Amino acid sequence: MKEIAVANQSEGTIRRSFSISPRTSPLFPFFIFVGFFLIWPIISLIIRSFKGNEDEWTFANYSPLLHGSYFHAFVVSIKLASITALIGAILGSFFVYAIVNNAGPRVTSVLDSVCAVFANSGGVPLAFMFIAAFGTEGLFTKFLKSIGWDIYAGKFTLFSFTGVVLVYSFFQIPLMILVFKPALQGLRKEWSEASINLGANSTTYWRHVVIPILTPSFLSAFFLLFAGGFSAYATARAMTVGTVPLVPIIIGTLVDGNVISNQTNLGDALAVGMIVVAGVAMSGYLIAQRRANRWRAA
Amino acid sequence: MRFSPSKIVTITLATLLAVLIFLLPLVAASEYSFRGAGGKGHSFINYQWLVQQDGFASHLLTSLQLAVLAGLLNLILMVPTAVLLHISLKRWRPIVDFICILPLIIPVVSLAIGAQVSMPKIVQNTQYELVFFFVIIALPFTYRTLDTSLSSIDLKTLVEASRSLGAHWITTIVRVIVPSIKGGITGALFLSFALSLGEFTITSLLHWDTFPTWTVVAAQQNILGAIALSVFSFVGAVLLMIIISTFAVRKRSASISHIEEVIA
Amino acid sequence: MSTLETVQRVSSKLELRNIYRKFGQVVALDDFNLTVEPGELIALLGPSGCGKTTALRIIAGLERVDSGRLDVNGIDYVAKPANQRDMGMVFQSYSLFPNMTVSENIEYGLRVRKIDSSKRKKIIYEKLELVALAQKSNSYPHQLSGGQQQRVALARALAIEPTVLLLDEPLSALDAQVRAQIREEIRRIQLSLGITTIFVTHDQEEAMSIADRVGVMSHGKLEQIDQPITIYNNPLTPFVASFVGEANRIPAELAEPGYVKVLEQTIRVANQSFDHSHGLPVSALVRPESLQIASESEGTPGQVVIKSFLGPLTKLGITIEGGLMVHINVASKEVSSVDIGNRISFKIVAEEVMVESA
Repeated sequence: MKEIAVANQSEGTIRRSFSISPRTSPLFPFFIFVGFFLIWPIISLIIRSFKGNEDEWTFANYSPLLHGSYFHAFVVSIKLASITALIGAILGSFFVYAIVNNAGPRVTSVLDSVCAVFANSGGVPLAFMFIAAFGTEGLFTKFLKSIGWDIYAGKFTLFSFTGVVLVYSFFQIPLMILVFKPALQGLRKEWSEASINLGANSTTYWRHVVIPILTPSFLSAFFLLFAGGFSAYATARAMTVGTVPLVPIIIGTLVDGNVISNQTNLGDALAVGMIVVAGVAMSGYLIAQRRANRWRAA
Repeated sequence: MRFSPSKIVTITLATLLAVLIFLLPLVAASEYSFRGAGGKGHSFINYQWLVQQDGFASHLLTSLQLAVLAGLLNLILMVPTAVLLHISLKRWRPIVDFICILPLIIPVVSLAIGAQVSMPKIVQNTQYELVFFFVIIALPFTYRTLDTSLSSIDLKTLVEASRSLGAHWITTIVRVIVPSIKGGITGALFLSFALSLGEFTITSLLHWDTFPTWTVVAAQQNILGAIALSVFSFVGAVLLMIIISTFAVRKRSASISHIEEVIA
Repeated sequence: MSTLETVQRVSSKLELRNIYRKFGQVVALDDFNLTVEPGELIALLGPSGCGKTTALRIIAGLERVDSGRLDVNGIDYVAKPANQRDMGMVFQSYSLFPNMTVSENIEYGLRVRKIDSSKRKKIIYEKLELVALAQKSNSYPHQLSGGQQQRVALARALAIEPTVLLLDEPLSALDAQVRAQIREEIRRIQLSLGITTIFVTHDQEEAMSIADRVGVMSHGKLEQIDQPITIYNNPLTPFVASFVGEANRIPAELAEPGYVKVLEQTIRVANQSFDHSHGLPVSALVRPESLQIASESEGTPGQVVIKSFLGPLTKLGITIEGGLMVHINVASKEVSSVDIGNRISFKIVAEEVMVESA
């Protein structure tokens, strides 16, 4: 705690002393709030996941996760997250590349806001929109039929794994653009000019400078997309109840009481399982992010 | 800007892809939403239907109420916290940074389940419990926005100046700091508001009924109406953001040219 | 191509002729001509926007030329790709590749030239010794100070053994103290290598202290290029006179042709090409050291309002009738008894003064 005392020696004036930093206690509201509404629910969740039907300590809630349909659900969820994250990362990178070098400031700021809206879209509105566009009566479907491609001729349905991948891409790609664009913008013009000046061509520059510099940012963005794709609930629920085994949905059905299980706290175990997977992804994100920031400082 | 062939190819390809992936579904959905009764023809009938539904207004109001409360609570909690962390108490920054990332790490689903278990009865009896969770969910975004905003002003100097002139802490925050980070505060408020309005997961899992959950139920009766709403809210949000960002850019350049006039 | 000796080196002669370059509506270079002899260090000096950086970048090949010639040792380089010009360049900031160590940065140009590993090691070591940073070879740029980074950038540019060295305001982003130190190092290295060098800066002290010749630029044109002492003592235009060194702008009247009346004295006009005929008000540019304290009968009276002690010299700010403040530099010993508020007289002791429109 710093204290700056301004003392005035002349008679009659008040000696003023003030501190520019109050004590720690003003942070208490934050910690109390977060502790009660975030930390405590998670801790009690974890505790309950280890409690059996008779309130005894047990691993029984976790065993269904290790095989069978619940394990399969984790596999599918992880698959979904990986694929949509990959699609988002690759296509998003391409868009970022196109934007950064070619778009003026006005276009960029408009694109920023549009991406922000798209990236946060999801849930029910998004699902409905895709149902409208790609459903059996949708414009898209009709259009494709008219050019000879009846997407419903086979077993395609929007309410499937592929359908969900399609819909998730709609927000994964913009999210990638938002998160990855700063990284590309951080590539200094001086580096490419220095490279040219030293005699190198484009390929060399990309191989030895650009790729190494961008990789951590790219990876961290990928992990972020993965975590989002894994944890998403609303969109999937609007589209796939029952048809695609996804962990968030299963938890939802357990909670709604639509599915009864012998293990009353199975839902808790599943929820903790989700935390673990998302946690691993986010650690990847944090580590890659730290790496990327090291070079920003230079 | 020189337009080399490779640039043209890139821009064209990107635009085509963007239109295909993003614009077409929007357009198709919009078209669908204007379909008339029985799926024939086009009219506003779906939008009319939706607005006329029982519960449209009440649920919308509920959601708006919760969103406003969540936004305010977010600011009241986070502005002082962010300011404090910037001026002093730097030790706590890593911890707070991590805590504010947590809502991204912990799936909302898990938080909802945990909340069910842990929240005492008094809290669980009112739908206002959602306000607290909306704040938590928005935490990463609001904290980040405020943090960035505070980093861009010389906070320490402002505070020292204000305090040395005799102002109390609250005066300093309200009259000096808040006006300086207006942009960040508006941004944080917006984000929080938008998130709360559209939040479905926790609301549904805690068995409350807000506008998003009501839409799903209404959709079961008339999918077209629900689609109309989705399209409307989406397109509306995009247009709103474009307008805001255009104005923001214009305002900035207006003030810069004014300064240039003054100097020249 | 690479020799390991740092003594004799081939360096190039540069000739820029009638270079014209426009960006949108702004003319960056207008009929720009410059000849740089082998081994010379030329400083391009001027305010922002004068075109000095554009000229440098054109030489490097990083900017196109709208019209004009660029010859290096008599060979037309205008169309030559930038990565084939064999010139070393140091940028103002962010020069180094952040993902590579100091050694790897320096090695970059060598690897491009397919120089084998053991030779590369030798060259890297040599260059690091040259800039006195041998112990930092495995450090990353973000671990170095600004001054160290620029020295590594210099080493990297020199590693490819270029025949021309280009420096784009290399010291502008550094602290004042570091700046003075490194500019001397740059000059020392340049002299020992004998390499043709172009140094762009807006800091006149920098330019004047290390260059063989200084080219003062304004609005895309080269106003004057001469040895530093000539630029200072014999500026050719009012712009050069006021940009380099200090100048008092004193209202004056045109007297008989070729002469101007300023502060009751009639003095020859230095820039004879100045158009006298219009009868518009003019200002005379007088350096502080061209003014001396005089007796009341000989000089112009005024009141001392500022006294700044600068060591051997003291700068006095004197307000004369009409409100104008004039700066004069006097030996400190002479004015030890002069205080703020005193009345004092001074006169011009230059044989000629530069004149410009008021």
